[in-house]
Amino acid sequence: MIPAPIQLSVRNVRKSFHGKAGEVRVLDDLSFDINARDFVSIIGPSGCGKTTIFNIIAGLIEPDAGSMHYLGQEIESLRGRVGYMMQKDLLFPWRTVLGNVLLGLETRGVDRIEAEGKAREYLKAFGLGGFENAYPKMLSGGMRQRVALIRTLIMDPDILLLDEPFSALDYQTRLYLEGVLKEAVETYHKTVILVTHDIDEAVALSKRVVVLSGRPARAKIVHDIDIAAASPIAARSDSRFSGYFHALCAELDIQTEKTT
Amino acid sequence: MTLSLPGADRLPKRKARAPKRPALDTAAGRSLLQALAVIAFFALWETGVRAGWISAFLVGSPLGIFAVAWKMITGGELLADTWFTLFEAILGFVIGTIIGSLLGLALWYSVFVARLVEPFIVAINSVPKIALAPIVVLWFGTGLISKVALSVSLTAIVALIAAYQAAKDADVDLQSLLISMGASKHQVFFKAVVPSTLPAIIATFRINIGFGLVGAVVGEFISSQRGLGHLIYTASSLYDLDTVWAGLFTLMIMGFALYYVIDLIERTSLPWKQASTTHQVQV
Repeated sequence: MIPAPIQLSVRNVRKSFHGKAGEVRVLDDLSFDINARDFVSIIGPSGCGKTTIFNIIAGLIEPDAGSMHYLGQEIESLRGRVGYMMQKDLLFPWRTVLGNVLLGLETRGVDRIEAEGKAREYLKAFGLGGFENAYPKMLSGGMRQRVALIRTLIMDPDILLLDEPFSALDYQTRLYLEGVLKEAVETYHKTVILVTHDIDEAVALSKRVVVLSGRPARAKIVHDIDIAAASPIAARSDSRFSGYFHALCAELDIQTEKTT
Repeated sequence: MTLSLPGADRLPKRKARAPKRPALDTAAGRSLLQALAVIAFFALWETGVRAGWISAFLVGSPLGIFAVAWKMITGGELLADTWFTLFEAILGFVIGTIIGSLLGLALWYSVFVARLVEPFIVAINSVPKIALAPIVVLWFGTGLISKVALSVSLTAIVALIAAYQAAKDADVDLQSLLISMGASKHQVFFKAVVPSTLPAIIATFRINIGFGLVGAVVGEFISSQRGLGHLIYTASSLYDLDTVWAGLFTLMIMGFALYYVIDLIERTSLPWKQASTTHQVQV
């Protein structure tokens, strides 16, 4: 098999924030590569700067040092070309479901009729047909996050940046949406970087898992996950699942076996 | 054998589920009680005047007020004065609210400018604008414009502060999301900032419609040939208390009506706010 080309390469990125207690170094010389059509999960202790990485890639904040290359070309950031999804669904409360899905196409200046047709098509495909004119307030948490996912996918982003997108949902809804996500990523051939603190989720969804060390964050180790399951639920019953799970727990210094 | 847990006797006993509401606690019942209170108030007033407990010369009397009001209504002057004052108040309210809201929102564009002008806004706000009334009359004359100008000076600053504060408080995450989508500053402003300030701006309508009336009436007090403020001022200088009250009650009805119009605007302009139901905790 030919190895997939490197799509995004992050090199020696540093970032410090100036707080009341002085300078806090969040990212120190962080480097990693994302392959085309990769599904990479980033796990690490809380507060280790996972969100900061996303904000740098999305162009919301500037790094102090380091560089990024996209398909070999040096870039400032991927602003306008990423699909950023956060833990909060960030639906605009004054916009209907349809209006929320249209947000990205509107900012791009896509023709209104064309955009609306596409939006309705996506909503139907994700089982939200008939909810076009509902306001976010009237929807359940899972439906809202599904709308947020459609809003992200419809823009056809180069890379999806998912920052703990399902962590505020109950377990059943999370399992369901993991399946929806995995299927959508395969249908639309997307590259995904997923930040999560859920090891179980990382193993079930990803092709690779990057473990970050505590602050300042460095890539400690990268695990390839070799499970070819049809769905995240099927992945959980794969014989290698628990092996990966325990290996990652060990990397994060979580005790999983009884000490004798 | 029954188990008895320590302290169980201290727990509240189960009560009837639905607390009994008073029999008159319905829309019609409340209206009836309110009407009765108004009638009782005027009846007591009239009786007091007739019995000589209170001076009709200093406080007027309900029947006197009614007679004066009826004469002014049939003569047409009350309606003319009402329209004049209402027109001034609404014009002042609309112009002031629009100017203030636009300026307040515009401050979002530049943190530098906003910080620069913030003390000046506070300074202007701390001046009792009513104190400007004599100058406003000097500058804009005794006609319509001076009253509108006074209303604008009262309402604009309220709208400005509310709009600026709401723009500052607009959800940063929504703005970040738009930026990550490649939105320009204008797009962030119009798609995220402006809509999220609308509830706060509409909330100022309620306060500002009152200030609009204050500006109109005070302007008429200072110098005017028309309007309810002029009517009240001239009548009170003649100790014609019945006419003063007739003017005041007309203002009250006007304020009341405007309040409901604003209420209607508030409820219909933000459909996305209406999706939830309100719950009240029973204490």
